[in-house]
Amino acid sequence: MRKAAMAAILVMLAGSAHPAEIAAGASYALPVTPREMFLAAGIGAMIACGLTSFFLAGRVTERTHVALAMLAVLIGGFCLFTLFGLVGREIPVAGFLVLVGLIGLFKLMNLFEVRRKPGPSGK
Amino acid sequence: MNTSSLYFVNWWTDTLIIGGLSIVAWVALLVFYHSADTQPVYWFALVLSLVVNYPHFSATIYRLYQSPDNFRQFPVTAWGLPPIVFGAVAASFWQPNIIAPYFVMLFLLWSPYHYSGQTIGLTMVYARRAGFSIGWRERMALSAFVFSAFVCGVIRFQQNGSSDGFIEFYGMSIPVFPLPDWMDAAAQAVMWTGALVFAGFAFVWCRAQKRPMPPIVLLPALTHFVWFVPGASLKSFWIVIPFFHSLQYLLIALVMQLRVRIDVMGGEHSWRCIGAEARRWGSRNILGGMLLFIGLPVAFSWLPLPMMTTAGILAAAVNIHHFFVDGVIWKLRDAATSSALMMNIAEFAGPRAAGFVRPNVVEA
Repeated sequence: MRKAAMAAILVMLAGSAHPAEIAAGASYALPVTPREMFLAAGIGAMIACGLTSFFLAGRVTERTHVALAMLAVLIGGFCLFTLFGLVGREIPVAGFLVLVGLIGLFKLMNLFEVRRKPGPSGK
Repeated sequence: MNTSSLYFVNWWTDTLIIGGLSIVAWVALLVFYHSADTQPVYWFALVLSLVVNYPHFSATIYRLYQSPDNFRQFPVTAWGLPPIVFGAVAASFWQPNIIAPYFVMLFLLWSPYHYSGQTIGLTMVYARRAGFSIGWRERMALSAFVFSAFVCGVIRFQQNGSSDGFIEFYGMSIPVFPLPDWMDAAAQAVMWTGALVFAGFAFVWCRAQKRPMPPIVLLPALTHFVWFVPGASLKSFWIVIPFFHSLQYLLIALVMQLRVRIDVMGGEHSWRCIGAEARRWGSRNILGGMLLFIGLPVAFSWLPLPMMTTAGILAAAVNIHHFFVDGVIWKLRDAATSSALMMNIAEFAGPRAAGFVRPNVVEA
């Protein structure tokens, strides 16, 4: 009886695992879309900006580090824009939020590589 | 107040270039040219682009890259930014239907924002020249007016320039950026509030000074309003708006160039020298502009894309690069820049002024 019950559980688990395996295999087999490839390139560029900043630590000014961080923000912002830029067609308020985000991005980029006032701990 | 110091050149020249000419053009087109056929204006604007629009982009690049000092001072702008912009261009070439429309859309939204920044900058410069102090409150009111007019402009440009939800740009179909219906009314409310508050500050200043505000101080904002609110509904006019924006820019850039070449580099102080330097700088920028907008697309003509698509993507890239570089090199808080922006062109023909702040340029 115990063996029969164990066998039934194994059959159930095997049965439920089977479609999951197919689904996982199918998702791995799906070709990468151009948009996904672009996003991957964007992530790569952001990593490159971060690594550049890391390897230049102590050798360049704080302004250069900030500019590299802002480049990463720009790349990330553009990647998001290619994903959600037209979301306002379905949700009008979202269009307003995207515009606000873009204006924020433009304003931030307007401060690109400019001298900044030192913070409270600055000399 | 010295009246000559209020203007870069003189009343007529400054008034016409900063906005008078564009307002006259708007009125003329409104009265005499209501035709839906914008082709004649388009071709006229294209010819003007060769001598004004394109050189204005070249002037920015020339100003950044003319000096090794600038390379050291702005390394990310000089070295880091071009590969990133080129990466976006490569992605757009690779996927002209998936990535390129967003890249161009980004440029189409950033461009009027950039114009707004120039309007605020010009107002600040003339206000400083007139002795009208623009503090935090005045700047907030001015920004509310200018940036809300920009939003109104985006809505109107899209309404008047699109068909079936797409805008034609260099043969590409760019989706209209979707905005809620209430946006126009909200932007107008903020715009008029900003205008009223700024006018109030100007009125208080006039009473305290017992003299009227020089119209040139308000002209950039008025011009901006004409461009983005009533002008945006007239298609034949908004084709030429970039020309007027570039004209404003070239006036300021020329004064800066004269400052660098004549005042700082120790050139001869004479009208002859001013003319020679203006011609040299102008011809280089005309050539540079043609290289950017004609030479670059031709260089990429081997791509399996329509030539117009290639040109459109590259035009968007040159513009976005310009928006960055402009923000870096024209900071009013920079002492050298702000002191150059207080000069009158006649000062370069007279004896050298003492005690000026030296811009960060070693070679021009």
